[in-house]
Amino acid sequence: MVDFEFSEDEIRFRDSVREFAKRYIEPKWVEIDEKGRIPMDLIKRIADQGLFAIPVPEEYGGMGGTMVMTALAVEEIAYHDPAVAVAVYTLLNNGWPLALALFGQEEAKMEVLPKVASGDAFFGIASTEPQGGSDVAGNKTVAKKVGDKWVINGEKAFISGIREIQELPEGGGFFLVAKTEKPGWSHKRITDFVVLPKWNGKIREEWKPTVYEEIGRHGLSTGGFTLENFEVDDKYRIGEVNKGFYLVLQGFNIARILVAAATVGSARWALDRAKEWLRTRKLFQGRPIASFEGVSFRYAELYTMVEAARYFVYKAAWMADNIYLSKSPRFKPQDLNLPVAMAKMLGPTVTTEVYTEVLKWFGAYGYTKECNAHRGWLGTFSYTIGAEGAQNIMKYIIARDTLGSDAVRNVWAKEEE
Amino acid sequence: MRVLVAVKLTYDINQLKFEKDGTPLLDACPRVMGEADKCALEEAVKLKDAGKAEEVTVLTIGSSKEHQRILKDAYAMGATKAVMVKVDDPDSLSALSVARIISSYAEKTGPYDLILLGSGAGDTHSSVVGPMVASLLGVPLLANADRVSVENGSVTIVSTLEDGQYKFTSKMPAVVTVTSEANEPRIPTIRDILRSKKKPIDETTPEELGAHVSKINIESIIKYEVPRKRVKIDATDNVEEAVEKLIKALEEEGVI
Repeated sequence: MVDFEFSEDEIRFRDSVREFAKRYIEPKWVEIDEKGRIPMDLIKRIADQGLFAIPVPEEYGGMGGTMVMTALAVEEIAYHDPAVAVAVYTLLNNGWPLALALFGQEEAKMEVLPKVASGDAFFGIASTEPQGGSDVAGNKTVAKKVGDKWVINGEKAFISGIREIQELPEGGGFFLVAKTEKPGWSHKRITDFVVLPKWNGKIREEWKPTVYEEIGRHGLSTGGFTLENFEVDDKYRIGEVNKGFYLVLQGFNIARILVAAATVGSARWALDRAKEWLRTRKLFQGRPIASFEGVSFRYAELYTMVEAARYFVYKAAWMADNIYLSKSPRFKPQDLNLPVAMAKMLGPTVTTEVYTEVLKWFGAYGYTKECNAHRGWLGTFSYTIGAEGAQNIMKYIIARDTLGSDAVRNVWAKEEE
Repeated sequence: MRVLVAVKLTYDINQLKFEKDGTPLLDACPRVMGEADKCALEEAVKLKDAGKAEEVTVLTIGSSKEHQRILKDAYAMGATKAVMVKVDDPDSLSALSVARIISSYAEKTGPYDLILLGSGAGDTHSSVVGPMVASLLGVPLLANADRVSVENGSVTIVSTLEDGQYKFTSKMPAVVTVTSEANEPRIPTIRDILRSKKKPIDETTPEELGAHVSKINIESIIKYEVPRKRVKIDATDNVEEAVEKLIKALEEEGVI
């Protein structure tokens, strides 16, 4: 039986997030983008509202919610912060904590997750390296087992949360992807770790961070770091040795759903602003510009595409709940690849289209900073480039899972032992 | 201390849209717990948080799923008990009937130290139910509270009237009506929401409570109108003069 309605709990939760975001995020979103940081008291407030670690089980300090609820929360936050810094900060602290809850060791989960849920620590992803992000098997960061510890050396780039980790009272860290024992192109020699450059308020000297200057979404920092003989206890290893590639891809699937939800929320904001404008802006003897088909038909196309992206987001979130939370035998983790890739391909792409059009509809006003639509445009554009997976990787996944991996070029052909 | 809060399912005024002729599109408007009622509930829950109230019972009149939902919302905010007085078509009840139901429930399940209501409903805004409940129960009424405090068996409110703020104090039991300015009601968290769905909702009827009720039949609605006054001030030549005129006009209207 098909039912496209959210449950009563989901609607009540969405309404509560909407009210929260309207009250506490919307009045600050421009200031957040201008000043380039999310105020610490707002992060604490979001945590107190229970909006971090939503799908993480309660025994780890999480909220015991679902991925559908998490997507609803991220979409609503992005609607009220269309530059998406707050939405992305929130989604990172939901998606990657869930990945840790699913694949991590008990001791690490008990130590890290409650502090993320309380907003005292950040937990994101550190996969991308200076040579690229899409080619995870080509990563060069190496983790070597020395005695009962792991020693990690390498460099990560374009990582979210670098400044926030340093400023948060506890600190935080990453779901870090490393090559086991030696470099070389391989997806069979990858192990994942919980890496905490700042923990219990202390920054590790073996971690050398740097923060980049970006063109948009200024409220959330992006940067890079090097790890020099960074020691990690074995309890922080995520999953089995050399199985890290398969686990981080599942983490990416979870996070991609939420990235798409954030872009959809921002696009909805832009379309709602445009709707008011198209109905009330009058030209040529009092005709609202919505009366010109060149405008209204384009609005119709974009509205439809945003709705289509929303459907993909919630279908993928629903399937993720079936796989990871209710452990339904109906789906396997790899079944999630296709709906997630479609959501992540469509969400950011259509959102960029929406902003490109909305800025033009606003005319010269759209090109002013007063209009503020440019903040959403620049903020969400990041997600057409990369962030949890580039658009061409999404297309590769869709092509592979529909045309068949035998017909699509196999990028995993040359394993280096 | 036991507190009873009466809440009404009403239109979410913030989402209400109108036809060109001013007719409100009620069918398309989501319904929620009344804004002032929510503030009344927040005051009750604050008393519970402060350890001054042990019990916060929330009552609503109606029988729909939406009525159940606002009672779950009340649980999520911190109520300890929820009651639905089942009436079909509760919007057709007269204000006196609503007051009879609330006072009958209070008499039957009381005594309550404090009965809190919103100062007016978002739709009818008659503001008479609170006074009627106080009258039927024979207890003091403190109306239109912007602030509520409880100390040593007395309740004190601050109320904004036309010529300033007044402070009223009364021994309890008492009925207090609370304005939507009184506080910023808490927003339930996901845990509150998930836990609230498992909480029981007691059901009763006006007959069981022994409350005599009557309904009002609205034959037809001629026009919905919100009177608006337009004042045009020409600011083309002299902005300073225009600002002075604007201030004077606003002062005359009592806005500033």
